[in-house]
Amino acid sequence: MSVILVESLSKRFSRKGQWTEALRNINLELDSGTFVSLIGPSGCGKSTLLRIIGGLETADAGKVSIGGMTPLEAQASKVFGFVPQAPALFPWRTIIENMQLPQEVNRKGGAAYESNREDETELLRAVGLGDFTNAYPKELSGGMQQRVGIARAFASGAPILLMDEPFSALDEITREKISHQLMSIWEKHQKTVVFVTHNIREAVFLSDKVVVMSSRPGRITEIVDINLPHPRTKMEENDPIFHDYVHQIRALLQERWD
Amino acid sequence: MGVAGKQNTSRLNAKGAGATMMDIKLNANRESGITFDPSSVPSKKFAKTRRALSSSAPPTVAFIGFFLVWEALVRLIGLNALTLPAPSSVLSELFGHLSFYLPHAWTTLYEAIGGFLLGSVLALTGGIIMAHSRLIERSLLPLAVLANVTPISAIAPLLMIWFGFGALPKVLIAAIVTFFPMLVNSITGFRSVDANNYEYMKSLHASKMEIFLKLRLPNSLPYLFSAARTCVSLSVMGAVVGEWSGSTEGLGNLVMLSSNNMQMNQVFASILLLALMGIILTNLVRLVERRVLSWHSSEQSKG
Repeated sequence: MSVILVESLSKRFSRKGQWTEALRNINLELDSGTFVSLIGPSGCGKSTLLRIIGGLETADAGKVSIGGMTPLEAQASKVFGFVPQAPALFPWRTIIENMQLPQEVNRKGGAAYESNREDETELLRAVGLGDFTNAYPKELSGGMQQRVGIARAFASGAPILLMDEPFSALDEITREKISHQLMSIWEKHQKTVVFVTHNIREAVFLSDKVVVMSSRPGRITEIVDINLPHPRTKMEENDPIFHDYVHQIRALLQERWD
Repeated sequence: MGVAGKQNTSRLNAKGAGATMMDIKLNANRESGITFDPSSVPSKKFAKTRRALSSSAPPTVAFIGFFLVWEALVRLIGLNALTLPAPSSVLSELFGHLSFYLPHAWTTLYEAIGGFLLGSVLALTGGIIMAHSRLIERSLLPLAVLANVTPISAIAPLLMIWFGFGALPKVLIAAIVTFFPMLVNSITGFRSVDANNYEYMKSLHASKMEIFLKLRLPNSLPYLFSAARTCVSLSVMGAVVGEWSGSTEGLGNLVMLSSNNMQMNQVFASILLLALMGIILTNLVRLVERRVLSWHSSEQSKG
């Protein structure tokens, strides 16, 4: 059943009087409970698309429906758990207090998903931060902070998680480790995830569906279904099918690079 | 705000705190336990005292040295007490007539604190409004700047004419000198929220009020405390300037009267009390700051 429906969406930006087409005629249908990655070169509008879905930006034309609601309505009823590029932890709150922030704001709207909330401490333990519940963000490394952001999104009870390049500032090893943790949490909770990245291996490893985009104007060139079995965390390092997908998506991206 | 001079000490403090954490970790490791029992680390208490001593010793020595040199100069050169009284005679004047000085000190203290509080409340209110509306900021901030650049000693006599010789005009002057730094810092504090954190609040559909209470206000605290540290001593100055322009009591009044009468011991005793007042008030703010901003890595480095 499709939970996110995007129809002939377009968006233009004006910079110094020059118009750039950030998104042209985007059509997308995403099923509930699937992990979807948006991948493409910088400037292809993948983050913009994510932000329009999340109600953080508005489109110029076209329609977005989140289970029948507009993005803003969905945002108001706390359908989204947002994981931005930087961790977005409040420095004056401890880790556990940061985890509880989503419940503290917009109380009326979130009532519907209140019962879906997960135990914060357990999720922190799942990302290996069980001992840091009462620490302040500054005591954690960048990777650890980002893991808190992911745990927070899963804890909030929101059915759709929007992740905007959450690992882009992390080193390769940390990145791999965290994406494994993300996968194992996801395999347990099965939320709808829209994940923006420019890392091909990461996209293939995590996703059920990879949406390949190209830039100027930003558009969808191909949607690749990833038929790799779960649990992925147990997948062999050099699984041939995994590599086939990586090659296929790399080829698709290279085709349009210039 | 010009408190850059304090940056060094605060950096030292921050380093000190880091050292404790390391100590804790080391000790915890040594005992190969994950849980940490503070009582099992006897050196911690001493370390704290040692650190407190090492940070307060140099200024104490400097202070004592300063007064000793002063005392020695007065005695050796045989300076006339009408020019410069020795610290010892100032102290004996002060402690011999405490019951005379304290009511004056009290007057100046409540004028200063009253003005500081009034100015802060007005500045915060203005800050909230201006942080939310560029238009209001653009129209009203120049007025605040105008009030700020006008010498307060020039305005003071005017306030005496309008409001008499009681405490009110002094409170108002103290409020005026407090207002501007608090206003500017509150606007900066409310506005300079992290873009990611702001967007995160947006993604939760937080209301303007929620964004203010949960993000802007806590974000502004380091800025507000930094301004408060400066303003609390400025407000003492404001009260004194007010008292000069016309008053019957207060330390400023005392300084003026006794210097007219060449009672130098009295002048210096009053100045000493004013300096003490400034030190105590600033440290009081710092104390509250340290409690409230325990999360802030460099409590005092943002000047």
